[in-house]
Amino acid sequence: MDNTDNGFGIVIKDLVKKYENIIAVNGLNLKIKSGELFGLLGPNGAGKTTTINILNGLVKPTKGTAFVAGYDVRKDINNIKELIGVCPQEAALYKFLTGRENLELFGNLNGMPKNKIKERMDYLLELLDFEEDSRRKVKGYSGGMLRKLNMLVALIHDPKIAFLDEPTVGMDPRARRKVWEFIGFLKNQNKTVILTTHYIEEAEALSDRVGIIDYGELIALGTPKELMEKHEAKNLEEVFLKITGRRILEGI
Amino acid sequence: MKKQKTLALVKMELKKIIREPAYLFLMILFPAVLTLVFGLAFGSTQFNYMAPGLFAYACIFIIMIVAQSFSDDREQGLLKRINITPTTSGEFMGSHIISNTLLSIFQVAIVAVCSLIIGFRPEGGATGFLLAFALIIVLSICSVGFGLITATVAKSAGTATGLSFIFILPQMFFGTFVPLNDATRMIAYFLPSYYATDALNLIFLEGAPLTELAIWIDLGILSIMSIVIILIGILLFKKYGKA
Repeated sequence: MDNTDNGFGIVIKDLVKKYENIIAVNGLNLKIKSGELFGLLGPNGAGKTTTINILNGLVKPTKGTAFVAGYDVRKDINNIKELIGVCPQEAALYKFLTGRENLELFGNLNGMPKNKIKERMDYLLELLDFEEDSRRKVKGYSGGMLRKLNMLVALIHDPKIAFLDEPTVGMDPRARRKVWEFIGFLKNQNKTVILTTHYIEEAEALSDRVGIIDYGELIALGTPKELMEKHEAKNLEEVFLKITGRRILEGI
Repeated sequence: MKKQKTLALVKMELKKIIREPAYLFLMILFPAVLTLVFGLAFGSTQFNYMAPGLFAYACIFIIMIVAQSFSDDREQGLLKRINITPTTSGEFMGSHIISNTLLSIFQVAIVAVCSLIIGFRPEGGATGFLLAFALIIVLSICSVGFGLITATVAKSAGTATGLSFIFILPQMFFGTFVPLNDATRMIAYFLPSYYATDALNLIFLEGAPLTELAIWIDLGILSIMSIVIILIGILLFKKYGKA
């Protein structure tokens, strides 16, 4: 099956993930268009990271399935790995290597030709204004610098689909703006981007559409504008608080 | 299996050793100090009989380095990150076997140089050294397997260090340079280092020719043990150790 023919980068069908007595993802259905910047929002423990981990093959679904670029996560995970880039929530980098060495390593692990790695590395480092710092060992990096490099490592091989899990946590406003510009740039390049964030204004500013999940279920879906109109809210944060807050009050 | 990915990981692992002072200490200073201490404590005549066992011990010590390295990488989310790339388990494990075997050879070389300084004069000639080289490689692969088993069980790098001694100590006391009695010999028959040390003793102390069947039996048993242990290590780590 190839869902990319239908213009969808990601298709999630009746997805369930249970951990003993905990249901992390509860019958999730979602379609994300190719080239779309999709904001995946939800309170802590809502099931965002589990969903992303299923889509990138780290976690096996209990029931249902998902298709990434047309490939089934249950059967074709090796094909999926060729097409995705994942920026994890916690910066996962080799601290004894320099920024450039980390990028080079993951370029190699993604099977890029040597000359392309250097070319792409120079390009990305210039875009994020990170050339000078990239020559230092990661051990001495600030939190913001770690985040930047964490994201660049995910994108070194120019993936078709990027999962950015809280990419701007701990960044100062200037660095965050720079990353926003960069995420916008990815969208202009027609990449499918799945962004999870706790900064709702970030999702509002960047996302084409937003999905809010809670207790593993999709509870709202639409463009930020549509959601604000539907819930008579001034901004997306208000929508988020109304929806997730109501569920707490109603004991759902 | 693509060479590019394996080589990139080997390069990274070797940089880790060179750039991390703790690993560098374990790698260079520990075997050197150990050899010199034994040499000074026992004198050159007795030390001569212990030297082949010390070569084996240097390989066994890799267990701790492997266990720490895997646990560290797991704690920092690096194993998950590598797992998301198209790198196969074979390329990943292959890189660890190569890099740690290289480290083992390096450690054995340090022990050998220190031993020669103290006065160890091995028999066996160039062909003996070649066979010893093969024994060291096989024992190193086995140590990587034990390291993987340790990393699977350990929840953190600190625990991994302690747990690795479960595999290091019996091999050290019953399978290297400590003289054996009837009871400990029975235990030693189940330890890979015993076969490596026995063959190294035959080569370096007795100057046994390459046609000596006992050397090949030792190498054969050691190879089988190493294959079984590395496979157990890889399977356990793949199933329970990555998360």
